[in-house]
Formats: sequence, C-alpha cells, structure tokens
Amino acid sequence: MSERALGLLDIFGPVMIGPSSSHTAGVARIAFLARKIHGGPFDRARVLFHGSLASTWKGHGSDKAAIAGLLGILPEDARLGFAPELAKREGLNIELVPVFDSPERYHPNTVVLELESGERRTRVRGASVGGGKVRLQSINGFKTELDGALEALLVLHQDTRGVIAGVAAILAAWGFNIASMTSHRTDKGDLALLVVEVDGIVASGVVPALAGVQGVKDVVYVPSASGGGRL
Amino acid sequence: MNWKFSNAAELLGRIGESGLGYAEWLIARDAFNAGIEAEAVRAEIGRRMMISRNAIEQGVASPKRSFSGLTEGAAFKVASSPLPPPVADRFFGLAITYALAVNEVNACGGRVVAFPTAGSSGIVPGVLWAWRDAREPGLNAESKRLQDAFVAASAIGVLIAQRATLAGAAGGCQAECGSAGAMAAAGLAVLEGMDFADAIDAAALSLKNSLGLACDPVAGLVEVPCVKRNAFLAANAITAVTLARAGVRSAIPFDEVVGAMKAIGDAMPAALKETAEGGLAATPTGRAWKERIL
Ligand code: SF4
Repeated sequence: MSERALGLLDIFGPVMIGPSSSHTAGVARIAFLARKIHGGPFDRARVLFHGSLASTWKGHGSDKAAIAGLLGILPEDARLGFAPELAKREGLNIELVPVFDSPERYHPNTVVLELESGERRTRVRGASVGGGKVRLQSINGFKTELDGALEALLVLHQDTRGVIAGVAAILAAWGFNIASMTSHRTDKGDLALLVVEVDGIVASGVVPALAGVQGVKDVVYVPSASGGGRL
Repeated sequence: MNWKFSNAAELLGRIGESGLGYAEWLIARDAFNAGIEAEAVRAEIGRRMMISRNAIEQGVASPKRSFSGLTEGAAFKVASSPLPPPVADRFFGLAITYALAVNEVNACGGRVVAFPTAGSSGIVPGVLWAWRDAREPGLNAESKRLQDAFVAASAIGVLIAQRATLAGAAGGCQAECGSAGAMAAAGLAVLEGMDFADAIDAAALSLKNSLGLACDPVAGLVEVPCVKRNAFLAANAITAVTLARAGVRSAIPFDEVVGAMKAIGDAMPAALKETAEGGLAATPTGRAWKERIL
C-alpha cells in the first residue's frame, strides 16, 4: 500500500454511528469491504472478533457494525443501529464469535469475516487501525495490505516472466492509472500475488480481461470503501 | 505546487510561498490529493459541520442514556440546570454543554463526525458552534469564516497525526482528547481574529496541558472518562486562547510539544492505552461496572 498524505477530511471524519471509531466504524467498513469482495449477497456468514474486539464488542456495537457492513450499510448510515433486525427480517444467517486465543501476529483490533454462497467462499481478515481507518491484511488466504481508499485488484498468477507486463498492459489499455503495484510470493508453490491499486473505479470488464492473461489463475476485485464500486 | 510538509514550520512556509490564505491552501491540498474541486471539499466540510451540529441539538434536547448505563444525560442536566453557573459567560457554558452533548450522542450509538476520533468528537464542534451561537449567530455551516475555523482545527490534527498519533490505543488520551483540545484552540483562535501562526501557538498551549493523559476507559467503553473529558478539554482550549489572545506565548514551540507527546505516549504502559486494564478501569467501581455490563 502506498503512503497517502493525510488531509483535512481524514481528521474531520469519518461521519459515523457511535460509539467507537475503531470498534464500530472500522468494523463496519471491513465487513462492508468483505461483502464487496465476495461479490454481493451471501447465504451464510461468520464474524470472528479478535483481540480487544472479543471482550468489548457488545458495548461498542461491533456486532451491529459487522452485520451492517455485511448488509452493505456504510459506517455513517443510521441504519447501522438496526442492522441485526434488518438481517433477521431478510432471514440472513450470521454467526458472531468472540475469539480469545488469537495468533500473535494479529493486530489488537482484528475482525475476520467468512462468507459463503453455494460453492463460493470468501475469507477476509481486517484490522481496525484507529479513526475508522482499516487495513485488509488477508483475503482468501493471501497476505495483503489494503486500506480501501482506492480500488484494488488482486491477481494470483504463475511466478513467471511476462505476467506483470501483461497485467499492466491491460490496465493501461482500459485507461487506468496505477497508483501502486506490489508483488508477493505465496506459500503455494510457484504462485505469486500481484496487488494493484488504481485511481478511479474499476469497470466490470477489467476482471475477465485480466483473468485471460497467460499465467493468471485468479483475479479478485477489491472495491473502495467509500461506497463506490459495483454493488 | 509542493503540498508536502512534515511540521508546523514547514506548513507555514508553504502557505507563505503560495500567497494563499491558510484555509485556501489547505483546502486546495485536500482537493489536489483527492482529485476533486476545492468547492467539493468545502461542501463536504460544511456537510460534516451540520452533522456535528445535529448531534449537539440531539444531545441537549433530551437526556441520553447508553446501553451500558454509564452515560446518563449530563448535557441535558447542564443545559437545563436552574442554578446559575459559576462562570456567567454564555459562550463558556454552551461550549462545555455542547461538547458533552456530542459525546453522549456518540456513546448512545448516534451519528457524529469523528474529530479526530469518536471519543473526542465533542470538543471541537462544542467550542466552535458555541462561539457561533454566543458571538456571531448570523454565521452558518456555509459561512467561510466558520468553515475556516474547522479547517484550522483539522490542520492541527494533520500535524499531530504526521509526527505522533491520534489514537488512544497508541498514545493514550493525550493523543485523542488532548489533540482535540489543541485543535479546538486553533479553531477558536482564528474565530477570535488571530492569524494562523498564532493559532498554532494557542494549540501548543492547550496540548502542553494535556500531556500524559491516560486512556483508561471503564469496561473498555467510550464513556467513562471520555464523555465528561470532552467538556474539560473544551474548557482547556478556551483557557489557551484566553492566554494566547492576550499575547502569552508557549515557551515550547508546537512541533516540539508534539514530539514530547509522542515520547510520552511511547513511554506509557499498555495498561493506560485503551486496554481497560489500568487507571479508572482498574478501580473497584470501574471493575464492578465491567462485571455488570459485559
Ligand atoms: S479515554 Fe481513551 S477511549 Fe476515552 S476518549 Fe480518551 S482515548 Fe478515547
């Protein structure tokens, strides 16, 4: 993730439903992103609260926040307070689980979301790092470091020459300005993960185009947390 | 234009070179970084000012009670008290009442603007909206003068965030409510007609007086001591501007005070950084509340 300059609206904001920017607003934002990464509605979801969230989630409304995000409700939307009722009315199956023995590498305010629709599964681990800001640290088992400020694409590919150039060429052809591009080796043999953040909103044709690049195994679209994106 | 700065001295230098006013320059910087028009940044600032105003109205209209029971309508009590306050000035009374109001609305799951965080969200709007009501009722969220005060306050937050932290979990409450007090001082200073450089010095005065403030919330909830602390830091900001307006300078410049805040935050034990394991949270009464709530 590239370092972004802090501005006035980072300090005077976010607009949010209380009581805690890190335990309420940040959690809602991570869950919101998880739904988007999943591609929208789901059949079942599990929310795991780690670290300080495990002990204070009730008083901070982290439960309402997570459910709200999973319903596609942003942290500043007053419906956040009634999210559990909305979920019940829609008949959604959302399980909330506090976890007290988290791995040490987890950030003290970590939430993990597991979404399921039929065969499709999505697992997102996010850290709420203060002031409502978040970092997505793992998506479907891949290490990431995204803050949801920009749209991003995760490209899982064979670790061979030419793939990165192919991806860059497609993004250029679609007119995207690449804000950052980082490559990670994975523990899955010869596979590597390319994380690309772009300016603007990713058009729906980009994902299949990237999936067609030789050597690319999978492409995950991570929309921005501001409510833009495709859903 | 170069939009980078890492401390107050550099920020003042950049603004000086540009020939723009401080608010114009800072808004242009936000607009540049977000790729939008300056007008859109101003509109968003105005929108957030109105949301903070609505929280004030809500908080004083009726007693706010939180899920935990720790928050019990302090703003309403102060606003409707029949007894004359010890300080007769309307601005002062409104400032502490409004600061309480916003934070009680936050504690009860209402809508606020984190400024810089949710736990400290009452301080800046409390002071600046109270000044508007008591001194210049003709101003509103679209008035450049009132907006610019929110800009000055936000700029102080940017400066602190760049060199230290605004998170209680990382730096204790000096980083949250302490920073908000400094931000409110800068906003109030420009409303009182001081220039931006002097407003930064007023912020230094306020920040110095909150160094070392622990983050020790009872049961880990953003209520005790947070809600009432918003009122106290509002008073702190007003005191700072009372001194600064009379020409009293901070003996330690703003940038160095921020450095001191960072060093103190780093030296603080984890028990005093939002873990709810020390301080007020660890008192017998604090623990009893925790048992009852969680
Ligand atoms: S005591 Fe802690 S939680 Fe409460 S306002 Fe201060 S920093 Fe935030």
